[in-house]
Amino acid sequence: MEKYTLIVTEKPDAAQRIAKALDSHGEPEKIEENGVPYFRAHRDQTLVVVPALGHLYTVVHTRGRRNYYPVFNFKWAPRYSAERKAKQTRTWIEVISKLASNAKNFIAACDYDLEGSLIGYSILKYACGNKEGVTKRMKFSTLTKNELEKAYEKPLPSLNFALIEAGRTRHEVDWLYGVNLSRALTLAAKRWSGRYATLSTGRVQGPTLKFLVRREREIRSFVPTPYWSIRSEVEVKNSIYEVEYEKTTFDQKANADSVVKTCKGKTGEIETIEVRKHQQKPPIPFDLGKLQTETYSLFRYTPRRTSNIAQRLYLEALVSYPRTSSQKLPPTIDYRAILKKLSRKTSYRKLAATLLRRDELKPVEGKKEDPAHPAIYPTGNLPERELNDPEKKVWDLIVRRFMAVFSEPAIKQSIKACIAINGHRFYLRGRRMLKEGWMSFYKPYIRAEEVLLPAIKEGENVSMKQIVREDKFTKPPPRFNPSSLLQKMEKEGIGTKATRADIIETLYGRGYVAEERIVVTELGFDIADVLGKYCPRVISVKFTQELEKKMENIQTNNEKRFNVLVDAVNQLKPILKELKEREQAIGQALSEAIKKARIQERIIGNCPDCKTGRLMILYSRKSRKRFIGCTNYFKSICTTSFPLPQRGTVKSAQQNCKGCEWPLVFVRLKGRRPWMLCFNPVCPLKEERKKRDEMQGM
Amino acid sequence: MKCKVCEREAENTYCELHNKAYRNILREYDVWKRASSVSWKEYLSEIVQNQYTGVWAKDVAEHLMKDEEK
Repeated sequence: MEKYTLIVTEKPDAAQRIAKALDSHGEPEKIEENGVPYFRAHRDQTLVVVPALGHLYTVVHTRGRRNYYPVFNFKWAPRYSAERKAKQTRTWIEVISKLASNAKNFIAACDYDLEGSLIGYSILKYACGNKEGVTKRMKFSTLTKNELEKAYEKPLPSLNFALIEAGRTRHEVDWLYGVNLSRALTLAAKRWSGRYATLSTGRVQGPTLKFLVRREREIRSFVPTPYWSIRSEVEVKNSIYEVEYEKTTFDQKANADSVVKTCKGKTGEIETIEVRKHQQKPPIPFDLGKLQTETYSLFRYTPRRTSNIAQRLYLEALVSYPRTSSQKLPPTIDYRAILKKLSRKTSYRKLAATLLRRDELKPVEGKKEDPAHPAIYPTGNLPERELNDPEKKVWDLIVRRFMAVFSEPAIKQSIKACIAINGHRFYLRGRRMLKEGWMSFYKPYIRAEEVLLPAIKEGENVSMKQIVREDKFTKPPPRFNPSSLLQKMEKEGIGTKATRADIIETLYGRGYVAEERIVVTELGFDIADVLGKYCPRVISVKFTQELEKKMENIQTNNEKRFNVLVDAVNQLKPILKELKEREQAIGQALSEAIKKARIQERIIGNCPDCKTGRLMILYSRKSRKRFIGCTNYFKSICTTSFPLPQRGTVKSAQQNCKGCEWPLVFVRLKGRRPWMLCFNPVCPLKEERKKRDEMQGM
Repeated sequence: MKCKVCEREAENTYCELHNKAYRNILREYDVWKRASSVSWKEYLSEIVQNQYTGVWAKDVAEHLMKDEEK
């Protein structure tokens, strides 16, 4: 059989794109073996491009049962041997091994980052039989034909072993922490209560939960204090304008009242008018964090959702590699070529043409750099298929941001007129746009609100039309949302751009937090409490930051994997010893927390009949059937109950019915679309629907 | 000793969580007094009804109000 060069990629979509780009006719042959697709392409030689399925290998316990700790002996093994859900990785590894046996050369073409380098390395080492030392590396930031061809023609002579070592260490340290601490918590709870519940914590999860708990504590123990402000309007040239009082807040009500009394119905004079021009610089290019923040604020997409969408756009060669920390766009990406390609789309034509008319294109850039990839930018390719709505939005946002960074600053004019009324000063403010600059490129994602004032001059008379005192209270600090939490993690330097979004989802998945504006659950509090009491180092931000720093140093050859691992084990040993010694107390605390959480999960809302009890999902002792009942039944106060569907899962929908304001339940049944159920038998919406059905029947 | 509000472990009247809320209630009373000369009882009633008061602070304020009534 003819020998070929085996190119290993990270995902099937990337394999297809690479094969298509490298095949001299752009038509590689797709072969499928046991459900594993791979591609045969012809160029100067035969190329076989085979995809992985993300990580095919993972860290596992060398030997032993799953129900004890501490465990410090580990090895890298196929994922199917450790994870039930990863069965298909077995055939994947078998096919790659078979293809490797006939290959003469090897090229790794996985994403050029920590995870991608590790995926390629483990496949070449374990599935291909120690070929990691003879493998070349394709390095690219987009899956465009041009860049892939260049990466293939001039590959790096070897794998980036420093990056691989850093990746391996990260996985191994995370495994050491995750497995040991999660087992310690889970086993402590199980040994105390006899019931199993998955509890987890980790090197990054713990400190992240700590941020949330700290904020939640502030909110829950917050006591507002009163303050007062003035709301006032003046009449200028027959129009009414809102004006600000010189002092924004008052500590004492009487002082605010005195201002109202003195100025009510009075006429004043414009003392001074200040006109200022100021520039607003274009935004900087997107790194992953900035993109996630922007999509959350504009479209309410969670960081993980944005990351997944951006990854899909990358695999379709529409944008560059999204998991980047860079805020820089080097000239090598060829700005002009991208803009020319983008101008093929009608909606970008005029904007791109404006930029292309310039002699020089220079982007505004941020400070952050990433040695592996530039900031996120559009490749200039247009979609080959109809993108779905979220994909369209994210792509358009990336395109417009890319164009905006090359544009000029926006110029705004602000006017501040100082009005004196009976010894008090009020400010009338106006603003207008003089030159849109970059904002015209970034529409509709930026809005400049203008307040246009009539022509006014100093000495002119102005009459107070309305002046009232406003009673206000200080507010608690805002809750984190997935986006602001991600920013906090980034600022504190914990986790990586690839893992932060997943950590947040894990916190939701474990039931430690709930809702979009993040609320820490009782279980979350208790977990943080236990960790804080018995192993504070695990949730210490500083400790995690130090470990992150050491792992980053491996990437730059300034630290050794072995030292970091030994250090991690030495840190863990006393923590685990303490956890074991106090297992009973921890088990009790956690079991109680789990019990409370399980009860909480079953609570649907307030009882509409007795008003004091809570409606809860209960099970009949006789028939074991489930129903909704009031908690006051146990106090012999209320006997309200409602039937529930007996199949599928039922939980609180966390919202009320629009027709009757009763709490709704969410029903999920296999093979059916989940639905919201209002269990109020006389809900007006049900009545309406019934009438409608009857009318249709007639 | 158990917390008077939530029955968690407590060193004094309240657990660690409710104690923080209690300290806040005591501290902010000075601000309220300066601002609008309310009595302690009026203050507690105000913060129980206020939408921005945290749940633990409300729990403690309600407990303090019940104590006052006794």
